[in-house]
Amino acid sequence: MVLKIAWRNVWRNITRSLVVMGAIIIGIWSIIFLVGMVNGMIESYIDNAIKNEVSHIKIHHPEFIKDKESKYYITEIANVKAIIDTISGVKAVSYKTITNTMISSSHSGRGISTIGINSKDEIHVSGVSQHIVEGNYLTDTKKNQILISKRTAKKLKVKLRSKVVLTFQNLENEITMGAFRVVGLFETGNNIYDESVVFVRQNDINNLLGMNGYGHEVAILIDDLTELESVQKRIANLFPDLLVRNYKEVQPELGLFQSQIKMVGIIYMVIFMLALIFGIINTMMMAVLERVRELGMLMSVGMNKTKVFLMIVVETLLLAIIAAPIGLFLGYITTHYFHKTGINLFFYSEEGMKQFGFDKFIYPNVPTETFWQLVVAVSLTALLGSLYPAWKAIRLRPVEAIRGSFTSDKTRIFTRIINFINNKLLNRKLK
Amino acid sequence: MSLITIKGVTKTYNPKKIPVHALRGIDLTIEEGEFTAIVGPSGSGKTTLLNIIGGLDRQTDGEVFVDGVNISDLSDNRLIDFRKKKIGFVFQSYNLIPVFTAAENIGFIMLLQNKSKDAIASRVSDLLKSVGIEEQRDKRPSQMSGGQQQRVAVARALASKPKFVLADEPTANLDSKSTADLLDIMENLNKNEGMTFVFSTHDQRVIDRAHRIVTIEDGKVIRDESVE
Repeated sequence: MVLKIAWRNVWRNITRSLVVMGAIIIGIWSIIFLVGMVNGMIESYIDNAIKNEVSHIKIHHPEFIKDKESKYYITEIANVKAIIDTISGVKAVSYKTITNTMISSSHSGRGISTIGINSKDEIHVSGVSQHIVEGNYLTDTKKNQILISKRTAKKLKVKLRSKVVLTFQNLENEITMGAFRVVGLFETGNNIYDESVVFVRQNDINNLLGMNGYGHEVAILIDDLTELESVQKRIANLFPDLLVRNYKEVQPELGLFQSQIKMVGIIYMVIFMLALIFGIINTMMMAVLERVRELGMLMSVGMNKTKVFLMIVVETLLLAIIAAPIGLFLGYITTHYFHKTGINLFFYSEEGMKQFGFDKFIYPNVPTETFWQLVVAVSLTALLGSLYPAWKAIRLRPVEAIRGSFTSDKTRIFTRIINFINNKLLNRKLK
Repeated sequence: MSLITIKGVTKTYNPKKIPVHALRGIDLTIEEGEFTAIVGPSGSGKTTLLNIIGGLDRQTDGEVFVDGVNISDLSDNRLIDFRKKKIGFVFQSYNLIPVFTAAENIGFIMLLQNKSKDAIASRVSDLLKSVGIEEQRDKRPSQMSGGQQQRVAVARALASKPKFVLADEPTANLDSKSTADLLDIMENLNKNEGMTFVFSTHDQRVIDRAHRIVTIEDGKVIRDESVE
């Protein structure tokens, strides 16, 4: 019976009900879309970072991360790679030589990190080969090839086939230099990263450093991210003298971003709930005040307060139950569509997005739990929003309500204040 | 034992500041099967008395016995239950549930009493017939005239087979024809089924049909006469 009255009451004032339901639908849709966008952006940032910079797991000499000096190398690094290759769950492995360098052209120079790579292995681990925008990737045919970013090329005022000079300290702490020819220009979409690295063949840089067979870093990609910690542990057990870190340890902000995805969703939900709860209270209070006479009749003829209370609560919940699936569905199809096509954020601010390491296209992605969280949040909001109007309804006195009069607590307080002013202040003035 | 017994009932509004004495010591008994009109000018206290008899309001002093129960002793919740079982209400402005049809409005109180669907359907059909609005059964209040709505209200009041019906100015919003029809219905129910009716009214058309007229003025019963 309570459900029947509540259901009919929902459709009693269609405009008002549609306004509340519209607010719920738009709220849910916008949360799903916003969570999807933020999630997509963070995933894009993390993916880019993993693909271009950090990989899933990295191995270094323990001292190397404190002071990136060439002397902190890993010996027999090819053997290390070969052993890691055999570990289950490992997708690809590469090793590199990294050294701080001064890169100079005939026009200018700047500090940069030179990464010596084994070009064939690196293709499977980092994405630099996919970001060549001019020229070619490193090949085994010629010595002293270098890949620099388009931004670095612009700053050094060099172009393809130009020569640049790399200057650095070798293992004997002597200043060494080598001339390299630009064979390709890359652009990863992350300006900061692009301006901080150049790529050369590992053999070339090792010859100059005098550390053949050595390297500074082993980069590993794994098949399944859920296995990250276990694969890391297996590798660490095999190489107890080396420092084995996952991407969250290498760049703690990546782990922080990942954990913040959930927090962002919850923050949006709380803001939405706060906005919605006032809308619901307002609407349901209007519904109660509009029906004072009817509520008085219901209580007069024997509807107890519990049922009156439930009637208002159920009516509010019904509004949410009708609107929530629509909002969830619209949110799902919108994010699903854009997950396929992507949203071009460079259209909005190309330089700004590149500066922060985001991809050109963002692919909104909404975790399944967000949908469940929204269902709970909306139900809870509707329930909380209905409590005050329902409480107001049961506070009505049938004998007053039946005549359509409703003396609210506020009115009583207001009347008391007015009486107090009249009695105390005005009378005193008159005296 | 009388159906309704009122002993020394007083009602004072706003007793601490500016007291308004609505009832000043009412003694009254109403027997089963009576067709009684409580009459008096506006502000005389007739609606207040009806509210107290119906358990919608509480007296300041005195006692009210309905069907042998001192309703002054009942808690709010038990009073709600008592009203549901023993008393039928007809209000001046009908007060039907606008989202329910005539049949649903009539069956509503039986739903509150957890009666079976079959019992409700059968009782609703009987009542629609007895108040002469069978054709309106699926219409909502907004689709019916005032007279038809008040007939639904009477049928609703009778649905739970109460001990008596309290009707507060039931004809105040009705035209002459509707008033006459409604009074016919109520009089027939009184004669044929022995239903007790207590009205508050200052409508002469109702007073003319009443079997007993209790006149109140300034919160006191000044006349109590039976009409043959």
